[in-house]
Amino acid sequence: MAKPIPKVGSRKNRRSSARKSARRIPKGVIHVQASFHNTIVTVTDVRGRVISCFSAGTCGFKGRRRGTPFAAQTAAGNAIRAVVDQGMQRAEVLIKGPGLGRDAALRAIRRSGILLNFVRDITPMPHNGCRPPKKRRV
Amino acid sequence: MAMATLALSSLSNLISSFLPSQSPPNPLSKFQPKSLSLPKTASEYVPPMLASSDRTLPSTSLSSSLMKADEITPIVCPSLAYSNTLFYKSGYYNVEVVVGENEPEEKLMNRFRVAVFKSGVIQECRRRKFFESSQDKKKRKSRDAARRNRNRRPHPKASTQAKEEKPKRNDNSDDDNWELPEDLPY
Repeated sequence: MAKPIPKVGSRKNRRSSARKSARRIPKGVIHVQASFHNTIVTVTDVRGRVISCFSAGTCGFKGRRRGTPFAAQTAAGNAIRAVVDQGMQRAEVLIKGPGLGRDAALRAIRRSGILLNFVRDITPMPHNGCRPPKKRRV
Repeated sequence: MAMATLALSSLSNLISSFLPSQSPPNPLSKFQPKSLSLPKTASEYVPPMLASSDRTLPSTSLSSSLMKADEITPIVCPSLAYSNTLFYKSGYYNVEVVVGENEPEEKLMNRFRVAVFKSGVIQECRRRKFFESSQDKKKRKSRDAARRNRNRRPHPKASTQAKEEKPKRNDNSDDDNWELPEDLPY
């Protein structure tokens, strides 16, 4: 679901897609979605357009190991490495969801050398909305 | 419409007056809470709940601009008392931690962890993961209340006195006649 970004100029003036990979983004936003079974790290620009996306699954972990903090750490490291060549210096971190990957991903982002502006938690909270699934009887 | 903007600005004043300004001033000079929903008829009273609502607001953050807090108009949105989210330019968030220059990693992690714990995000997530019946809800609330009262009021040491009194209690059972009488006609 991409946000509708207004087109500038006609189709003839549109740059070819080969130029897109060379754009430099000095400032970006790192979204970390840490669920109980996986961690997804997405790096976008300030407007929200995705630059790179890595998850614990794409980093080679499978099954139960995807939810571990180490997997979150590697996912965050990979995501930032892919973006540092594009010249990103400052970033903002948005963390969503409960999960073990929250702290680990934040630590990896901090260690990678990117300057951070804010660290925010944007876990979505219903104001008593949908009914969650029934209790487990284990 | 003018009244809505006035209410918005006064609301931001009210929010900034409640938030303790610990972090350096926000680079955003203005904020437009797009998703803020004010009732059409803003009543002119300050609900007493709002005074206690700053307990639910997170402690380390500054979302709105540092406007003058001396002009606090009593136009207030009552539903905001229950929301523990703050606004920034493109959405809302629960917790914000502003990272300083050359802050050590451990200090940042600790600050973030403490802020998240204080705002109760993880607990809330765990509670909402599965459905909670009214019975469970009552149990949880009573447990939380007990924990809160226990932390505020330490229980006085009355247990030792109660144990001493028990053996001293007068035992009238010796006077009872439970045995059969020996001299019976039959």
